[in-house]
Amino acid sequence: MNCQSCLDRMAELADEKLDAQTAASMREHIAGCPGCRREFDSLRRTLAALDALPSVAPSHRLRARVMGDIETEKLTLRRHSGWATAIREAAAPRPRRRHPWATLLLQSLGACALVALGFTVGERAATQRQLAELRTKVDTMGQLFEQSVLQKRATGDRLETVLTAATASKPDERVIDGLINSMAFDTSVNVRLNALNALYLHADQDVVRASVLACLPRESNPLVQVAMIDFLVAAREHGAAPELRKLAANDQADADVRESARRALDQL
Amino acid sequence: MTATAAEIPVHCLPIGVDWRPSPAVETKAPQSDHELMLAVRDGDLDCMGELFERHHGPLFGYLAKLTGNRTAAEDIAQVVFQRMLKYRHTYRDQGSFTAWMYHLARRCASDHFRKSAPAPISVDPSELEHHADESRGADESAASRDDHAVLQRALGRLDRDDREVLLLSRLQELSFAEVAGILECSVGAARVRAHRAMRALRDHYFRIQKEPLT
Repeated sequence: MNCQSCLDRMAELADEKLDAQTAASMREHIAGCPGCRREFDSLRRTLAALDALPSVAPSHRLRARVMGDIETEKLTLRRHSGWATAIREAAAPRPRRRHPWATLLLQSLGACALVALGFTVGERAATQRQLAELRTKVDTMGQLFEQSVLQKRATGDRLETVLTAATASKPDERVIDGLINSMAFDTSVNVRLNALNALYLHADQDVVRASVLACLPRESNPLVQVAMIDFLVAAREHGAAPELRKLAANDQADADVRESARRALDQL
Repeated sequence: MTATAAEIPVHCLPIGVDWRPSPAVETKAPQSDHELMLAVRDGDLDCMGELFERHHGPLFGYLAKLTGNRTAAEDIAQVVFQRMLKYRHTYRDQGSFTAWMYHLARRCASDHFRKSAPAPISVDPSELEHHADESRGADESAASRDDHAVLQRALGRLDRDDREVLLLSRLQELSFAEVAGILECSVGAARVRAHRAMRALRDHYFRIQKEPLT
């Protein structure tokens, strides 16, 4: 072992990443070489200081953003697979039908004409049905696309969408789903709060109350958490009690959130 | 209405999809990173959430030290996971997930540095301290010659390439062969570069300790 090869692998020695034989050989060299010993000691101290640097934790925003990306990708995947299915169905050759009257076709020219006419009409009707189905699928895919790109739009636009949905005179299931999604996954606190406010009108629906309850432990913003607790109290959601108890006892939670949870438990 | 929150999974719902909990939700045996990523590649994107939980902390720590900027580190970390989703089909059967992730992270960080080229990398000691530990004042840290602050300043004085190879080589999850793969050089070259970077860090570290207080 010479000084150069010893220097090249000093970091690995400090990390104890070397095999026993190489490590022993290096230690023997270092013990007898003042230059390498100084180098090794100073490197080891530096690396120890580097490894002792406190690890910093990312904010909760990172999790919300990445989870939003995953959900958006899932929607895109479903959209693509939906398209693929529709296209496959449209492009697939129609299975050949075994006509029981094939023998008659050979035997009778008149019967053959009738069967051919019937087949043509049937085929056309089937094609039209298939086209109608395809259009429906395309509509659905378009709606899915609209939903999946929602997160990519500016916050102001997303907020406007939520506010428009909130004022819809007869919101259907799709609108309510959209509001739930915005409350659960939008990266903007403002959008989430407005989506939650819009859902007050539909608090009589089980799915809405269950959604708010499910989102509560995942929500990281104290403002939205408090608003969700208020919603659950207003909706008299007794199933929220276990979650509220957890929040009230959670020292990591915001003080206002804990207080709101305690108050909500009393009210429920 | 008696369901508890824990029983109700929240999904970003496509229109028309049944919202109710899927009966497929069941406890699975812990999977390796590699198995999870293969599942992601095959279309089970929920597994990406588990990979995020396992790796976002160390990844963010690496990026925060590399950039000296928490906000930039968060942005880059998000792009890394976006690229994992986007390029999941390129993940190989025999691959190491961690090496692949840091390979993507290196590319994403390069893109970040290229885009923000006019802005100098944080070399101002007080700024570095601020990024390293926002809970304490930079002045206070500098005055106390806190060892962490000194090291952060030393890191900030390294060339970006040196900082990159040094931080990668300190990740316990990566072997030197994997670091070499990420850096696209031979194992020997990676060792030499890492050692050179360590010596440069050491020199800065001890020099800063001897610098007079300002």
